Amino acid sequence: MNRYLQFAVIRFKSKTAYRFDYFLGILNSLLSFVVYYSIYKALYGGAQSIDGISFSMVTTSFLISLGLSSAFNKNEMFLQDKIKQGTIANELLKPVNFKLRMLFEDAGEGAFNVVFNFLPTALIAALFANICAPSGAINMLLCIASVILGYIVLWQISFIVQCWSFWLFSVWGLVTIKNVVINILAGSYIPMWFMPEKIRSILRFTPFESIYFMPVQLYLGGLSQWEILLGFLRQLAWIAGLYVIGELCWRSGIKRLVIQGG
Amino acid sequence: METMINVENLCKTFKIQRRSTGFTGAVKNIFRPTYEYKKAVNDVSFSINEGEMVGFIGPNGAGKSTTVKMLSGILHPDSGSISVAGYIPHKQRKDYVANIGVVFGQKSQISWDLSPLDSYEVIKHIYRIPDKLYKDNLERYTELLDMSDFIDRPVRQLSLGQRMRADIAAALLHSPKIVFFDEPTIGIDVVGKDKIRRFIKTLNETDNITMIFTTHDMQDIEQTCQRLIIIDDGKKLYDGSLENVKSGCVSTRIIEAEIEDMTNGIDIDHTQITHDESSGKLIVTFDTDKISTSEVMSQLMSTNSVKDISIKEPGIDAVIRDIYEGKIKVRAATRVSADASVGAVAFSNVCHRQTAPQADTRF
Repeated sequence: MNRYLQFAVIRFKSKTAYRFDYFLGILNSLLSFVVYYSIYKALYGGAQSIDGISFSMVTTSFLISLGLSSAFNKNEMFLQDKIKQGTIANELLKPVNFKLRMLFEDAGEGAFNVVFNFLPTALIAALFANICAPSGAINMLLCIASVILGYIVLWQISFIVQCWSFWLFSVWGLVTIKNVVINILAGSYIPMWFMPEKIRSILRFTPFESIYFMPVQLYLGGLSQWEILLGFLRQLAWIAGLYVIGELCWRSGIKRLVIQGG
Repeated sequence: METMINVENLCKTFKIQRRSTGFTGAVKNIFRPTYEYKKAVNDVSFSINEGEMVGFIGPNGAGKSTTVKMLSGILHPDSGSISVAGYIPHKQRKDYVANIGVVFGQKSQISWDLSPLDSYEVIKHIYRIPDKLYKDNLERYTELLDMSDFIDRPVRQLSLGQRMRADIAAALLHSPKIVFFDEPTIGIDVVGKDKIRRFIKTLNETDNITMIFTTHDMQDIEQTCQRLIIIDDGKKLYDGSLENVKSGCVSTRIIEAEIEDMTNGIDIDHTQITHDESSGKLIVTFDTDKISTSEVMSQLMSTNSVKDISIKEPGIDAVIRDIYEGKIKVRAATRVSADASVGAVAFSNVCHRQTAPQADTRF
């Protein structure tokens, strides 16, 4: 088995060790779904659609965003904790690329979250809410591809922020700010459809739109081929750009690493 | 013999924030932090041959661990060069670390939630260890380190000694050519220490693995290493054979005597006499090259009524302590060959020490 996949598997396995955590996780996801569902139900006030966007599209969008945020797992305190406790020493002793290893471990937990948290939540949600079906097999495949690219974009942003741990003792504040900004700008809290056109046209040039909203649109269908191609190119460009920045941060950070605690 | 590790003029400086205390201090820390620079490793050079087993000692904060971390590619040196098995550790980290094993006594490498066996499986994949080698090594280490009782229990349920043994096996599963032990016996009981030492020694002898062993326990060194490197304050103080250090204490003896009437002043030539307040004993330290034991004893007994007497020889701990404290001057010892006779310690003023003796010969 691939050595990096091994990190994903081990993460997946150790997550299964905490059962209570798992049940609470489902409850938590269900609650946030119900909250959004109720808010938008009230906003729609019985109307079938607003601006051509139906209530079930909004509901589906939420559910997908929920699924994505559980799949888009990242342990944002990973680097900080490793540096703080000095256990980064052990990580650097493994004959693997540190970044890839980190990515796979996060992805392993993401896979766990999707299987044991999102899927049960989605099934329960589908019982009482009207959820749209995927718009076709090809679109579904494109959606999954876009999800993977979106994850890499999101993960790299997180990595860059985490690299600040080499200079700062705590990056919790930075991470929190980053997450709020992303959640708003990426359309995870408010679907992009309802953003003012001016803001949307700016957001198109940021990496954020492609994270949550592109998979939603691909799932629901309705994007032209040109729009799909452009979306993917944009994602790839951001991945390349963020990779270079991340690599620079990591290299200058690791040079000034201090191992804490003996 | 081939040179395995070569270190030249290695330096590493850490920037430390000097924190002021109190409220105004806290405010000052935020707006105008002050820094100081600490030279953790200061111009250290040495070379180690293949299959050698070297004890690396020094007081806390001497720079041992920093050196080991630079040797293992974790920390980047500020200046100087390191070459280990043909690699430059910090530059070729990923490829290099596949050839080494590192055990940190203070940091476990195996996963908290899993059993050692599960962790070993992961290591097997990460290091791409062939099935046969993995099986052989696992079997061998399980037996040598006596791990069969706990190998399938979650690590968080293991005792420190068990976890340490599991950690050592983890670091050696891929049959590395070089192993660094950074205080592997810290906090371990006597039996556990013994198991670890014997394992390390066996491995060094049978597999010809090059090893560096940092510790504060001199018995670790005495039972495993032939060569000793002492560093303090980032500088190398001694590099040579362990025998040389030990021979420094061969001619020193300490007599402890309980004397009935202490009012008489006692003075014997060539000895140093102190009075230990807590035990009420007289402590006489001398060098047998200058005065014989029987001479000291007869002088002592002729002038006093001695109730109880014992002769001790100071252990290696005492010698090391004196080296740390600067009581013993170390002759500059730059090691050139594997021949251990180069480094030497000057023990001229050993007699002036007043340390607690170790080996005890009682009458």
